[in-house]
Amino acid sequence: MPLNKNVVRIGAAVAATLVLAACGGGKIGESGGGGTAPNNKKLTLITGVKAEPFYISMRCGAEAEAKKSGYELSTQEPDKFEASLQSPIVTGVLSTKPAGVLIAPTDNKALAAPMKQLTGAGIRVVEVDTALEDRSVAQSSISSNNEQGGQLAAQTLAKLVGTGTGSVLVLNTKAGTSTTDARAKGFEAEIAKYPNLKYLGQQYTDNEPAIAAQRVSAALSANPDLVGVFATNLNSGEGAATSLRNANKQGAVKLVGFDASPKQVDDLRNGGVQALIAQDPATIGTKGVQQAIAAIEGKPVTRDIATDLVALTKEDMQSKSQYFYKQSC
Amino acid sequence: MSQSTLDYESTVNTEQQSLGKRLFSANTLWTGLVLLVLYAVFSIMRPDAFLTLFTFQTLLIEAAVLLVLTVGMTFVIITSGIDLSVGSVLVFAGVVGAQVMEGMSPGGDATGAGAGVIAVGLLATVAAGAAWGLLNGLLIAKAKIPPLIVTLGSFGAALGAAQLLTGGSDVRTVPAQLRDWLGFGQTAGVPHMVILAAVVALHGAWLLRTTRFGRNNYAIGSNAEAARRVGINVTGHLVATYAYVGALAGLAGFMSLAYFGTTTISGHSTDNLNAIAAVVIGGTSLFGGVGTVLGSVIGVFIPAVLTKGFVVIGVQPYWQPIAVSIVLVAAVWLDQVRRRARNSR
Amino acid sequence: MPLLEAHNITKNYGSVEALRGASFSVDAGEVVALIGDNGAGKSTLVKCLVGAEQPTSGEIVLDGKRVSFDSPTTARRMGIETVFQDLAVAPDLDPAANLFLGREIKRKGLLGALGMLDKAEMRKQAAERFTTFGVTLQSLDVPIGSLSGGQRQSVAVARAVAWASKVVFMDEPTAALGVVQRERVLEVIKRVRDNGIAVVLITHNMPEVQAVADRVEVLRLGKRVARLTDADMSLENLVGAMTGALNQEEAA
Repeated sequence: MPLNKNVVRIGAAVAATLVLAACGGGKIGESGGGGTAPNNKKLTLITGVKAEPFYISMRCGAEAEAKKSGYELSTQEPDKFEASLQSPIVTGVLSTKPAGVLIAPTDNKALAAPMKQLTGAGIRVVEVDTALEDRSVAQSSISSNNEQGGQLAAQTLAKLVGTGTGSVLVLNTKAGTSTTDARAKGFEAEIAKYPNLKYLGQQYTDNEPAIAAQRVSAALSANPDLVGVFATNLNSGEGAATSLRNANKQGAVKLVGFDASPKQVDDLRNGGVQALIAQDPATIGTKGVQQAIAAIEGKPVTRDIATDLVALTKEDMQSKSQYFYKQSC
Repeated sequence: MSQSTLDYESTVNTEQQSLGKRLFSANTLWTGLVLLVLYAVFSIMRPDAFLTLFTFQTLLIEAAVLLVLTVGMTFVIITSGIDLSVGSVLVFAGVVGAQVMEGMSPGGDATGAGAGVIAVGLLATVAAGAAWGLLNGLLIAKAKIPPLIVTLGSFGAALGAAQLLTGGSDVRTVPAQLRDWLGFGQTAGVPHMVILAAVVALHGAWLLRTTRFGRNNYAIGSNAEAARRVGINVTGHLVATYAYVGALAGLAGFMSLAYFGTTTISGHSTDNLNAIAAVVIGGTSLFGGVGTVLGSVIGVFIPAVLTKGFVVIGVQPYWQPIAVSIVLVAAVWLDQVRRRARNSR
Repeated sequence: MPLLEAHNITKNYGSVEALRGASFSVDAGEVVALIGDNGAGKSTLVKCLVGAEQPTSGEIVLDGKRVSFDSPTTARRMGIETVFQDLAVAPDLDPAANLFLGREIKRKGLLGALGMLDKAEMRKQAAERFTTFGVTLQSLDVPIGSLSGGQRQSVAVARAVAWASKVVFMDEPTAALGVVQRERVLEVIKRVRDNGIAVVLITHNMPEVQAVADRVEVLRLGKRVARLTDADMSLENLVGAMTGALNQEEAA
C-alpha cells in the first residue's frame, strides 16, 4: 500500500513539474532577426512584481509619457519578484514584437539571456529600477541611486536618534538582490560616520513580513540598546513595525523604511515608521519611456540616468506628497 | 458485539501501560527533548538575551499564525494527504475578511470599525478559508485528483483570486480595535494571539486523540481500503478534513491581519513548506496513519528557536536555513528507520 | 435447517457466466471449506453472499428467510462478516482500535454526543474478545503493524467474528503466513466455530481443509459439484471433485 501511494505521489510530482515546465517554457529565439516593423508604436513595460505601488506608480508615469508621444504601452508583471517567473514573460513579450521594452530585471545575471533575445530581435531595451550586470544589453538604465538612498537613510536615522547612543540594524530582503544590497551598502558606509551608532550588520528577511518581525524581536533580545532599524523595502518594514509595536518600542526604536507605498505613508502618519526614503518611480517610468522612444527613433540616448531620492518624515510629509506611491493611476 | 453467545475467560493483561512508559516510547518525547536542549543551549550562551520573558513571548507570538496552519496540516498529513495551498488560502481569506470589514465601514475605511464589524469579518475570513478547503476536499475525495496536484493548483489560484479581489495591492485598513485586542493585546502577560493559537491546538489535539473523527483520520491514513471496508465514509471524511484545514487557514489569515495590519499578499509563499516541515519534524509520517498535534507544536518551535537563537548569538544568517533543513531531514530519516524496523517483523 | 443457503445463483459479467446455478449451504457451528480450481467461481459466489456483488438470479436464504444484500454493510448488519485475503487492518492503530474500527463505542452523555470515544471500555472488551478466541498479544498498546503476520491476521479474524453473529467468510486467511502462524489462525477458526458461528473458509490449501473443515463444498465451472464430509475428504476426492473426475450433483 505505501509503495503504491509513493509511486502515485512521485508520479504526480513529476507530472506537476512537467506541466509547470511546459507552461514556463517559451520558444527560444524563433522570432529573432529582421528588426521590428517601421511605425511600430508598441512599448511593453515588464515590472519586477505584480501589484507593488512602486511599479504601479512607475507604470502611471510611463503610460502618461507614452500617450503624450503617441505610443501605446502595455504592462506585464510576474507574480513574484523572481527571475524564474520573469524570464518566461520576457520570452512571451518577444513574440508580441513591441518596438521597445522597459524592464526591471529581477536578477542581474539570470535575465541577461532572455533580454539579449529581445535585442537580437531588434527590440530596444531600457532598464528601469534594476539593471543587468552586463551593460551591453540595454540602451539606457534609469534607476534611483540606491546607494545614495542608503546614505540618506543613515543620515535620517542619525538625525532621528540625535545625540543618543545605541545599535542599529539593517533588514535586507534576499541575499543577492542588487537594489537592497546597494541600499544596505550605502547605509553601512554612511553610518560609520556616526560614532554614537553601532552597526549590527544586516539580517535577511526573504521578503516575508513574518521573518522580518522575527529578526527584529531577536535583535531586540540580543541588543537591548537597539535604537534604530533601517528596513530596505516594504515587507521588511512592515514586519519591523509590527515587531516594534509588539515589543512596545514603537517610536523608541527609530524605524526608517524604504519606499512610500500607501500603507507605508499611513504608517508614517500614525507613527509606525519614523521616516521613509522615497524613490521617484513615476519619473523613472517617464524617463524610461523617453529613452526608449529616443532609441527607437534613432535619436541620442543617455546611458545612465539616476533619479532623486527623498527622505520623508512625519513633519514634512505633507509638503512632499508628490512622492507618495500610487495604488492606481 | 454479539456477546450473548460468548463467555469470557479473561487472561489478557488489561492494565494500560503507565503514562511514563507510553511517553518514553513516543517520538514526541524525543523531539520535545531536542527542543528543550536547543532552548537550554541558547539560554546558556546568551542568558541575558535569550532567557528573557520578552524572547519567550515573541517566540510564541511569532509562531502563533504558523501554529494554527500546522494543526490543520497535521490532520491532512495523517490521512496521507498534503495541502500546499494553506499560505495562499490564508492570504485569500484575509483579503475577503478585510474587504468585508471595509465594505461595512463608512468610506471603505475599516480603521475605526467596532466589535460587530470585526465579528462579521472573522466569520467571513474563516468561511472563505473553509470554502476553499471544501473545494480542495471535493476535488481530492470525489474527483480523485491527487492532493499534491489539487492543492498545488489552489496554491496559485487562491493567491490569484486574492490579487483579483484587491487589484493586486494589499488591503490597508484593518480595524484598530482588532489590532489592539488580538494583534497586540495580552491577558496576564499572555498575548491573545498565543491564547487563540493554543485553543486551536488544544481543540485539534482533542479532536484527533479522543473522537471518532480523529480515529477515522488515523484509520484512513493507515489503510484507506480497510477503512472503507468497515464502512467508514472515507470520501466524506476527507472532504471534511480539507475544509477544516481551510477554515484554520482562514483563522490564521485573520490573526495575520490583526498582527500585521495588512493582508501581506506578497508574503506567505513558504507557509505551506514551513507547516509541512513542522508537522514532519513533530513525528507525523508523510505515509499517513501516524502523528500528534503535540508533536507538530514542538515541530513549529524547533525551527523558531533555532532561527531566533542564531540571530541572538550572532551566527551568520546563512546558517539558519541549513540548520532547519538538517533537523527536517533527520526527522524524516528517523520515521523511515522506525517504519523499517516495524515492517521487518 | 442450514443457517445460510444459496440456491441456483447465476452471475453474468456481460457475456461471461461466472456462476451457472451455484448452490451452497452452511450450518451454525460448522466450518465449511469452499474449494475449487481457479476460475471455478469461488470469489464470485462469496461476493454475492457478502453483498459485494448482486447475483443475476437465484436466491439467498438466511435463517429460513429470503434476503438480498445491496451492499456489504447490509450483510454485516445481518451478522455476516468477511476476513479478506489482504489484511484489511490499519497497521498504525492498536489491536483494540482495529477491532472497533468503524464501530467505536462512544462515551455516555454530552461527551459522546461530541464524538468522544470510550477508549477504556473498548480496550476492556477487546481484551476479553482476544482471550475468548485465544489470540495472544504481548501488548494491546502497540500498533498492529509491529505485530507478526499471524497475530495481525488473528486480529483481523477476531474483528470479523466479534461482529459476526451468524456467518464469517474467510478468503485465504492463512495464505501469507508461516507454519506456526497458520496453526494459530486455524486454532482461532476452531474456537469461532465452537462459539456457534458458521465459518466459510475459501482456500487452496488441502491439508488445511482436512485439518479444520467439518465439511467441504466444491465448485467447478460456476456450479457446486460435490459436498464431502469427514471420511470422504481424502485428498484424492478433493482433487477429483475440483478437476471434474468426481461429480455428485450433476444427476441431482
